[in-house]
Amino acid sequence: MAEKPKVIEKPDVLEQPDILKPPAVAPLVTFPIEVVVPEVRQQTPAVGQRATRADGRLHGLGQTKYIDDMYFPNMLFAKIKRAGVASARIKSIDTKEAEAMPGVVAVITGSDIPCNSFGPSLKDQPVLADTRVFHAGDGVAAVAAVTEQIATEALEKIKVDYEVLTPVLDPLESLKLATPGVHAPSANIYGHKVIKKGDVEKAFAESDHVFEGSFRTQMVEHVPLEPYACIAQWDANGRVTIYSTLGRITLGRADVARTLGIPMSRIRIVATVVGGNFGGKNEIRAEPAMALLSKKTGRPVKCVYTRAEEFTSSTTRHPLIMDYKTGVTKQGKILGRKIRLVLDGGAYCSWSETTLGKACILSAGPYNIENLYAEAFVVYTNKTMTGAMRGFGAPQVCFAYESHMDDIAKALGIDPLEIRLLNAFDEGSLSPTSQKLHSVVVKESLLRAAKRFGWNGIGNGTGNGNGA
Amino acid sequence: MKRRGRGMACMWYPIGFTVAANPSAAVVKVNEDGTATLLTGTVETGQGSLTILAQITAQELGIATDDVHVVSADTDATPMDTGAIASRTTYVTGNAARMAAEKAKLILFDVAAPLLGVKATQLEAQDHKIFVKGFPQRNMHIGDVANHARVVSGQPPIGSASFNPETLALDPETGQGKPFGTYVYATQIAEVDVDDETGEVEVLRVVASHDCGTAINPMLVEGQVEGGVAMGIGFALEEEMLFDANGRHINPNLTNYIVPTSLDTPEIEVDIVDSYDPTGPFGAKGVGEPTLVPTAAAIANAIYDAVGVRITSLPATAEKVFKALQAKREQQPKQIGTGAPPAAGASNNAAVQ
Repeated sequence: MAEKPKVIEKPDVLEQPDILKPPAVAPLVTFPIEVVVPEVRQQTPAVGQRATRADGRLHGLGQTKYIDDMYFPNMLFAKIKRAGVASARIKSIDTKEAEAMPGVVAVITGSDIPCNSFGPSLKDQPVLADTRVFHAGDGVAAVAAVTEQIATEALEKIKVDYEVLTPVLDPLESLKLATPGVHAPSANIYGHKVIKKGDVEKAFAESDHVFEGSFRTQMVEHVPLEPYACIAQWDANGRVTIYSTLGRITLGRADVARTLGIPMSRIRIVATVVGGNFGGKNEIRAEPAMALLSKKTGRPVKCVYTRAEEFTSSTTRHPLIMDYKTGVTKQGKILGRKIRLVLDGGAYCSWSETTLGKACILSAGPYNIENLYAEAFVVYTNKTMTGAMRGFGAPQVCFAYESHMDDIAKALGIDPLEIRLLNAFDEGSLSPTSQKLHSVVVKESLLRAAKRFGWNGIGNGTGNGNGA
Repeated sequence: MKRRGRGMACMWYPIGFTVAANPSAAVVKVNEDGTATLLTGTVETGQGSLTILAQITAQELGIATDDVHVVSADTDATPMDTGAIASRTTYVTGNAARMAAEKAKLILFDVAAPLLGVKATQLEAQDHKIFVKGFPQRNMHIGDVANHARVVSGQPPIGSASFNPETLALDPETGQGKPFGTYVYATQIAEVDVDDETGEVEVLRVVASHDCGTAINPMLVEGQVEGGVAMGIGFALEEEMLFDANGRHINPNLTNYIVPTSLDTPEIEVDIVDSYDPTGPFGAKGVGEPTLVPTAAAIANAIYDAVGVRITSLPATAEKVFKALQAKREQQPKQIGTGAPPAAGASNNAAVQ
């Protein structure tokens, strides 16, 4: 007898209409209320323990509240209109049509900001561009509406009349340009640093070999999982509370006070749990604009950047152009080094001065070099602003000085480990700024890494080592 | 054909920054049961800094990590802090937290001294107890002392302190001076496979030996290093913001701007170099930023070792490596005939496998 064909049982959806409905609220998830503290957190002494993070449990259970998870009654959602042109004069901004849209509660532009400039060192960045656009990611107007969708649609209704100018994009061109400056009348070179020690030309003359190398690095973004976000809530006493992804609340409060022209005592900044910073959240962005929108509407206002805004309207890593010249003995001992760094500073200064300083000081590498001349410039271009990012110029110069080091080692036929050990700092070595260094373990790290890796000279081991 | 190469890079990196002073302040309050609260203006950005600060505070008070609750990042409630920046939290805010905890501890010692019949300077705090140095049997539970301090002595054990790294302004002409309090050092060695037909680079293994002074929490140090290496791989091989001729960013999305995922992340072997910095809290320095500093350089050197081309601009995308390989081949004289072994030294590489 033939086997009965298998019938896949289908639930009758018409008889069970509930399964067609999406749940109105997320299903109740139960989690262990009893807090089980891993033992290591309860041990003494505390230092040196592999203690778990107190916030780890909350992350694991999905209980962490990021700004996008936060909601206040009557809250509005804000979007910012981006210029989309790299360099332009703003002739006029017409927001009437956007303001008339149902659901739009308020629109502000740069002229509404009491003091429309901020910055950690140079105050060259507007909260919203009012007369000039310096890069395509500049904001020109902010809209608060009852939904995010309406706010986004309202951006389309804002008409901005631009006189488009030729952008300066190449940092080397910017370095040469006296006029027109990106921020005319200010000079294009907005930061310069020199570190000078010994006599580098004399060292080159005494060297057995002089090597040169040129290196460049690109612009990258921090790409945190959580983009920039904030909520501003202005109260009836004229006090504003700002929940923000900011990593530096002390400085942030000073910047908000300055741009809004109100005393610091009227500002409360609460930094929430941040989904990644890496230096990209070290200064205010839309906080003053959101505070003003909240003041104007009497309602809390939330702004969360899109991924595109996170790229084009927040800070990035400085691209560097690095020229190295190094004089060495036959044995590979560095006698003198000359370095020129050009930092593409983007449209605004932001943390460029710190980056310039760190890049210049660190550019010689962790090596004893008695004769050194390092010079660094940072220039404006009409690109996304560059600022603080994990390493402040160090990953760029390390790429240059360590590539250059391997080139020298290869030309002299010395193992890369040996040439580094020959030149590396010791306890008490003097840095390029003649600072006496303590707790120096660069040689230990070289030897430990080499041992752990199984380094036994280039070209051995894995059977190639070509370059050679 | 895939060719294997290895490259190393070492680095140094300062803790804190140099444009201006960068102080941090902290407040430590010991509760009546011997647990404590730390107030700090720094922000947890996912790196585990609040856990580190809890460990430092706990260590100074002789209690456990879990006994310290950290209140952070509210300008209304917490003291000033230069912020979660420049790898400075463990060193600068950590020093402030340690000093604040020490002040609270000294109040506890003052309260405990007459109860234990010794001078305050003869006391020590450890394992939740305040005891006489050399006579641990003679002790009181820190909670009993803290309760006594509030209820009987009227001296609530609260300490506040601030710390700023000692620096010296740089000479504007020569740049000579003392810009930072302290530095950390590291070496990373990368092993890569480079496909000499496509230029694609795959990172197989990274050994990272990092100095952070005392590792307050070795697990969090390892986490920082692993994350930093992954970020360094993105910087070395994939990530780049591209602009059109009008200055508009053309890849503002994660489809065209590629960041490394877990599948791109190789085996990372973290090695913590023993070191102790007398100026840091319990000898600690920091580790946040340096973890990504040498990665790109090590990978670029490994690419050179594998296929003999020097990548001078980042990122070393497959296209860039391919073009460099092509240019290198064009320079080399063509070998006519087959089967003849290439002259010694002229061959690019022995194949892996």
